[in-house]
Amino acid sequence: MAATTDHEDETERSSSVPASPRGRRRPPRHRGRIAATVSVFGELLITAGLVLGLFVAYSLWWTNVIADREAHKQADKVRDHWAQSKGTGTGKDKDTGPGALDTKDGIGFLHVPSMKNGEVLVQKGTARSILNEGVAGYYTKPSKATLPMSGKDGNFTLAAHRDGHGAKFHNIDKIKVGDPIVFESKDNWYIYKVYDILPQTSKYNTKVILPVPKESGVKKPGHYITLTTCTPVYTSRYRYVVWGELERVQKVDADRTPPKELR
Amino acid sequence: MYGWIWRHLPGNAWIKALTSVVLVLAVVYVLFQYVFPWAEPLLPFNDVTVNGQ
Repeated sequence: MAATTDHEDETERSSSVPASPRGRRRPPRHRGRIAATVSVFGELLITAGLVLGLFVAYSLWWTNVIADREAHKQADKVRDHWAQSKGTGTGKDKDTGPGALDTKDGIGFLHVPSMKNGEVLVQKGTARSILNEGVAGYYTKPSKATLPMSGKDGNFTLAAHRDGHGAKFHNIDKIKVGDPIVFESKDNWYIYKVYDILPQTSKYNTKVILPVPKESGVKKPGHYITLTTCTPVYTSRYRYVVWGELERVQKVDADRTPPKELR
Repeated sequence: MYGWIWRHLPGNAWIKALTSVVLVLAVVYVLFQYVFPWAEPLLPFNDVTVNGQ
């Protein structure tokens, strides 16, 4: 290598950098600069990979930690409210009591045994900031949800995250037709039965949350419940919809004994 | 890049290692606390509502 001509030296330099030996005639500085550039570039790529990996960990794990913590806090607040206002509200008061209408902390809890995720706090609105707190939100737009406590005909339409931020509807695909969906308010258990499922629809399909969701096959006004989330998992390409109809209403007793569907 | 940082950290290898760990944790904290929450809504992973938008 000591006998290398200048010509060979030139081609070697232009083709591959690290292969060249420590030449006497070439200042080592130059090669060092190219090698340093390549190595910084490589380190940046590795860094980018690590950051993306961290982002996955963030979305699928950390947001759940944060959201569950927040949801528990708010759920406790709702339960406390209910416990406090117990006894003061009687008879007709039940739908307008402070607990029932406290839409800030939440209006009640959703229990879906087939999703195996315990209780899900329900709050007003489907804005990202609300759903990110690990709760299910009832729609206020484009169609307004009809709350079961109102007793009116309509559709109790809900949305929650499929992944991350509590992932409250992660197991929505485990729900089968005929499964119960139970909503717990301050005074009542509302027991719905799933009668139709739409595994994939466009996010523009706002008809699925109309007061009478005709797409599910119903034609008359009634007491419906609709759960929406994104599908397939880890993306938001489509929406997954589950419809249920009210089967019965059961009064909450002093011990808040859950209805038989939840036992 | 990382080599450069390593060479410029003060102290012996142990202190450098300790400082590095602290620096890494600080970066992860900033990412989780500020960068990811900012970036997430811009990515199409978590829209769960039907809204026609």
